[in-house]
Amino acid sequence: MPSEDKVLEEVRTENIDIEAVLDPVEPDGVFRDSRECAALALQAGTTKLLLSPPTPRPKKG
Amino acid sequence: MEQSSTSALLQGTVLDLASDVVSALRSGDHVRAGGTLAGVSAGGGVARAAVRVLGADLLLPATLLGCEPVPDQLTVFQDAVAAHPPRDDAAPTVVWSHWAMIRALRRLGRPPTGPLADDAGAEPDARWLDDAGWQYLTHQLAVLAPLALPGEECAVMRAARRRPVDVARGFVRAVRRRDWQQAAGAGRWLTLLDGVPATLGLEAGLDFVRLMGGSDPRVALQLEAARLMPAGVPL
Amino acid sequence: MSARRVEEAALDWVCAHRDRFALGEDALAADGQVNRTWKPLGELAQVCASVSVGTPPSDPLHARVTELLDFAWQQTHKGEMFLLMQSLEPFATYPLEVYAAFASAGYRHHGYEASAAVVARTRGWRLTEQYPTRRLGVMEAERRSGLRPHGKVPQALVRTWLGGLPEPWTFERAAGYALTHVVFHLTEWGRTPQGVPPDLADYLRHWLPPWLDTCFEARMWDLSCELLAVAASLPSPPEPAVLEDAWQRVAAAQHACGAIPEEGSAQHAAPPGQDDPYAFTDCYHSTLMAVFAAALTTARQSEVERAGQGVPG
Repeated sequence: MPSEDKVLEEVRTENIDIEAVLDPVEPDGVFRDSRECAALALQAGTTKLLLSPPTPRPKKG
Repeated sequence: MEQSSTSALLQGTVLDLASDVVSALRSGDHVRAGGTLAGVSAGGGVARAAVRVLGADLLLPATLLGCEPVPDQLTVFQDAVAAHPPRDDAAPTVVWSHWAMIRALRRLGRPPTGPLADDAGAEPDARWLDDAGWQYLTHQLAVLAPLALPGEECAVMRAARRRPVDVARGFVRAVRRRDWQQAAGAGRWLTLLDGVPATLGLEAGLDFVRLMGGSDPRVALQLEAARLMPAGVPL
Repeated sequence: MSARRVEEAALDWVCAHRDRFALGEDALAADGQVNRTWKPLGELAQVCASVSVGTPPSDPLHARVTELLDFAWQQTHKGEMFLLMQSLEPFATYPLEVYAAFASAGYRHHGYEASAAVVARTRGWRLTEQYPTRRLGVMEAERRSGLRPHGKVPQALVRTWLGGLPEPWTFERAAGYALTHVVFHLTEWGRTPQGVPPDLADYLRHWLPPWLDTCFEARMWDLSCELLAVAASLPSPPEPAVLEDAWQRVAAAQHACGAIPEEGSAQHAAPPGQDDPYAFTDCYHSTLMAVFAAALTTARQSEVERAGQGVPG
């Protein structure tokens, strides 16, 4: 007589669509860019230019 | 609920099996390769399904390092091949991963018996990759990473060999998307291909993928395979 | 290819918003925001200068960008404003960089060039601390403005991200913007593809496709357009399938009004059903870059077609 575990496992296996697991779709891409913190020991406050040298992106002009 | 808890159990078992293979590849210790399956009753449905999902790579320590496969493990592997043949309308990756498992058995001198014995040698075609864009090509190759072995000759390998730049582009894309499993699989293929642009920086790339995604044993498995590949004896 | 349609619609948006590029009073103010005044105007000038060179005079688009260039030059009071900026901020590089865009299209102010030359002779100017990419840009601006460049291109190039041929999977947004500008400077904004050294050209041909693909997926429309401009500035352009796919994705991101948002987040924030849903600052740059990239793409394409027909290019 099959054990209860075994029956349960048979039921479980039938529920699995193995072919779907073997033919997976791509997960969504994850994108996060590294940031840059202002260099340490730079003066804070009004001299914004020092804190964000020169702008976050290169000049596009 | 039933479906999701079952697939969680299946995925967990796949991860355990992958960990076993990684340990074996790292240490050359074939006994450890059988760790997860040793405690499972022969023919256990979930374990068998997990073996089918991990596929031919379960026997990678034997294939690549020449270790003797653990008898229990071989039995479950053979059961998995017999119990999960591709359906008639199965996707190419399903057909090919099954073929790869039979191929692995043949390599070890244990060809399948029973109903599968006759047509088991027939190689599927790889026409679905002919017009595949480089993104899809890389994704499919990564899913079929167990076929990336030194000296392997099959239609999927030939498709990969024809397009080293495309696979390299796919590797870059996978890393950018933080899809470590695809990146590791593509990286394993790239170690076997000629004509990969040197600027790719594959070695550093594989180290990077290990750093970022190596805690997943499926990723680690591909990276271990890639590490052993150049030194691996052609089959 | 959809590049031409994207270009026409984007240019419609630019023309309809021309006055938003006008220099207001804060252009000269000490606390004015140059990124909202000089930068957009300089970008308008640069894009129109490039498009006018690459578009035959018989093309209606040529007249439209020439009008925009005239408008932009009027905003600088035919260059007088550069002289004024020089007296206010003598060591700033951005006025020269903006001026260079005009100079490249033949709009020049000799008085400004003479006074800029005085400053550019100092050690202080040469040693201005800046990103390697920016340095290349300033050298290029000097050259285009008739000054003697303060350094050599190869030495400046190797200091840039692109010049060092980094592993392509280390690409991120900042590296992307740096590399597009390196190519813009090496090629005079797409005019001279042969300015890209062969090793860089190979490198870009190999790796632009995954960069483009992932920037599109991340809905970074602005950087995607810049990368397309780079693709069209190479000695041999990428495979047609790559460009075809990319331009379809730009077209899909373009609003009916012609605007292309910089990022996907602007699309989320935009109120639905509006004729003109984006704030100027959220879309002007990407829309300009689409015009720029599309003009280069179509120009390269007609070059290829002419070559194919055996007509001397």
